[in-house]
Amino acid sequence: MLIPRRVKHRKQHHPGRSGAAKGGTTIAFGDYGMQALEPAYVTNRQIESARIAMTRYMKRGGKVWINIYPDRPLTKKPAETRMGSGKGSPEWWVANVKPGRVMFEISGVSEEVAREAMRLAMHKLPMKCRFVAREGGDF
Amino acid sequence: MSEDRTHLTAERRSEFGKGAARRIRRASKIPAVMYGHGSEPVHITLPGHETMLALKNVNALLTITLDGEEQLALAKDVQRDPIKPVIEHVDLVIVKKGEKVTVDVPVHVEGEAGPETVVTVDSQTLQLEVEATNIPESLVVSVEGLEAGTQIVAGQVELPAGAALLVDEDTLVVNITQQISEEALEAELAEAEAEAGIEKDETDEEAAEGDEAAAEGESEAPAEESDSE
Repeated sequence: MLIPRRVKHRKQHHPGRSGAAKGGTTIAFGDYGMQALEPAYVTNRQIESARIAMTRYMKRGGKVWINIYPDRPLTKKPAETRMGSGKGSPEWWVANVKPGRVMFEISGVSEEVAREAMRLAMHKLPMKCRFVAREGGDF
Repeated sequence: MSEDRTHLTAERRSEFGKGAARRIRRASKIPAVMYGHGSEPVHITLPGHETMLALKNVNALLTITLDGEEQLALAKDVQRDPIKPVIEHVDLVIVKKGEKVTVDVPVHVEGEAGPETVVTVDSQTLQLEVEATNIPESLVVSVEGLEAGTQIVAGQVELPAGAALLVDEDTLVVNITQQISEEALEAELAEAEAEAGIEKDETDEEAAEGDEAAAEGESEAPAEESDSE
């Protein structure tokens, strides 16, 4: 699973969730992509789960790119703990995804296969997404 | 080749800023700017729908009619909304007939490579210097019957007459690799699933829970904090 090897600060503030994606809103590597339509924190487990779902469906034919990286730690205080005594311990690693961001890309398969693979992967993610094709396709 | 040009009628713009730009967009038009050949930039308004259709073609050569005068222009930069299918602003660069321009032309792969191969396009576009009136829509690369391990570099791509390649000839364009074997893929996915704690059978899930908790202790451990502050 994706996890940073070394970080400058172990505990961070929650990443801001407002606004739309500033970059990475177009397909850069593959032929088809999955674009986020809502803001969300995507955990490394969800990213891996989506990748596995796509790869399982495409079998050996295609290639998958992951354009997001879970580099933000989220902390959690243990259950039944009184407030205070400092910040909780890091629990999840998340990617702060804003609307418009192309999170996954696929190449080497037909559009039907790519669509179905992405559909399966979308169910693993915590936000609404859509299937996009290289320029000239969707817009 | 983009010989059949799109004609767009532009209106000169006199008010600027986000308020004016938003008023233009609300009227289903697109704010744009046109410059080039040492002339002063001209701020214009383009018809929304026609411009959107014209810009569906990559490197579309447009004929802009402004104050009864026709000018050839290429879209240099198109600002789009990241979610809605809306064009927010267009930068147009004025070109002359016969003038050479630098454009990024998309690479289109054709044909079926050999069995058990994966075709990866490493360079989705190639930068070319071509005549403004003869910009190719795409560069076709055939991978018909090619075996794993074959690499097609920029120098091997067939260019249209009069076009010059501006990138290094050794730039990798298409890479054909061997497909991963079924066993290797299954093993890789099984390992990834185990690490992520994805289980299908309930009986397996119970058995794996203990392993998962142990694995989590290792893999989910927060990354080491550096002391170099």
